[in-house]
Amino acid sequence: MEEEGYIADFNGIEKPGDYFHRLRDEIQNYNEKFHAFNFIPEKLEEGFPFSVKDNICVKGVETTASSRILSGYLPPFDATVVRRVKEKGFSFIGKTNMDEFGFGSFGINTDISARNPFDEDRVAGGSSSGAAVATALIKYHIAIAESTGGSISNPASFCGVVGFTPTYGAVSRYGLIDYANSLDKIGLMARSVKDIEFVFDIMKGKDEHDSTSVDRKIENKKSRKITVIDEMISGVDEDIRKSFDSLLGKLEAQGYKISHTSLKEIGISGPVYYIISMAEASTNLAKFSGFKYGLKVEDFSLDYNTFFTNARDAFGEEAKRRIILGTFVRAASVRARYYQKALSLRALLIRKMREILKDSYILSPTMPIKAPKIKDVEKLTPVQNYMLDILTIPPNLCGFPHISFPYDYIDGLPIGAQVITDHFNDKALFSFVEDWENNFTYKFKYNLGEI
Amino acid sequence: MDDTEFDRLLRICRLRLDKKERERIKKDVDEIIGYFNKIDDLNCDLEPAFHPIEIEGRMREDSVEKFDDQEALLKNTKTYRNFVLGPRI
Repeated sequence: MEEEGYIADFNGIEKPGDYFHRLRDEIQNYNEKFHAFNFIPEKLEEGFPFSVKDNICVKGVETTASSRILSGYLPPFDATVVRRVKEKGFSFIGKTNMDEFGFGSFGINTDISARNPFDEDRVAGGSSSGAAVATALIKYHIAIAESTGGSISNPASFCGVVGFTPTYGAVSRYGLIDYANSLDKIGLMARSVKDIEFVFDIMKGKDEHDSTSVDRKIENKKSRKITVIDEMISGVDEDIRKSFDSLLGKLEAQGYKISHTSLKEIGISGPVYYIISMAEASTNLAKFSGFKYGLKVEDFSLDYNTFFTNARDAFGEEAKRRIILGTFVRAASVRARYYQKALSLRALLIRKMREILKDSYILSPTMPIKAPKIKDVEKLTPVQNYMLDILTIPPNLCGFPHISFPYDYIDGLPIGAQVITDHFNDKALFSFVEDWENNFTYKFKYNLGEI
Repeated sequence: MDDTEFDRLLRICRLRLDKKERERIKKDVDEIIGYFNKIDDLNCDLEPAFHPIEIEGRMREDSVEKFDDQEALLKNTKTYRNFVLGPRI
């Protein structure tokens, strides 16, 4: 695959000798205001810049998943995706901010929230908040991010960048700090889908270190049909609904056949997702026991239970909530009612969505609201918070590849739409969004590193 | 969920909450379980989907792989004469 997009531009331009030195300083300065990065290296190597979400390991670089319990953890290896991208000459520019362990939709479950580049009083989205902000700030850059229930689409939409979540299993998870193993996917954010396609080709493919990674051909079965699921647009804000209708009009004019359908199972995808993800998270977080990885409980005279409980004081409140609920749904007395039933309902939802996806894309707004103000989301209850994920959860729960791309600006804020296709048809998404980019210009307020 | 059941759950989770945090989280947990109960609206007897795609069980060769950077590994632990220090069992 040939370089295109910003990567091709960057590699084709002659750069001043101190370019990477200046880029580093510029990123550091802007980080004071936007908090996109948890870590920026002292010196940048030459190459096209890439950032890494802070739940993905980079050898010798502090990797915390924005959690106190991992503070000081220095992975002795690179995650497979990081190794593959480094080997192709890309330049690592830092670890990006996120909700602790990926637990959040607004990037506020961290020490200092990342700020939306379009309005600093607003959230960047989450959980890959810093990845989206970095992409919106830096002109030549690609972000390695991760999604469990919408952590790529959501911030990509709020920050006006392209966010790609691949088919589950298409990209190795080795070196990712697990949130929910059956849901986590490592993906990408960029300013153009062409850059995403180029780097996805480098990252994808089976990895002996991840038994859930698969070696399947990634297809490009294009469709001229788009299906809108009524339950996915019924609860969105009025201004977004109007704007989405106008997007459908534009796509129709470009030759797509639009149809509407009902899928009542969408309504239960939220609870199904949260039951499965919390069950898996509650077991994954048990490995942080206070004597290896990050935070240390120094008092070795304590008995194991007290020692372990002391270590777990370092979890944030949302992490504690999810451990409690995940442990609850796995309890023998209720396991069949919650955990096992949620797994069956996931099978049902996959079947129902595949019936639609066999000859059509599914399209929806990415988020039901515009990027909200930080002070407003702090007042939401957890359930109100979870319900805002209703559009990004279905493809994530079912492992379908999807892309969020900017398609409009309302009150100066970017709005994203999410296109979904069948398992392992990821390349068709690239074709779809490339067609869109040929007719629409994305807006950016900042262009750090411009040459 | 009554207080006894909630406290039992906290013990299993090895979590300790202060009074205010306990009150807040207990209320949230009750509300979230109500949200989970929405799945009662649908009946389903399909085989559970442990993964979203078919994944064949894969075994790797049962052989030793050398990791030659012990020093980097031990950086993440407290050690005594190259033994990792941990709590009493």
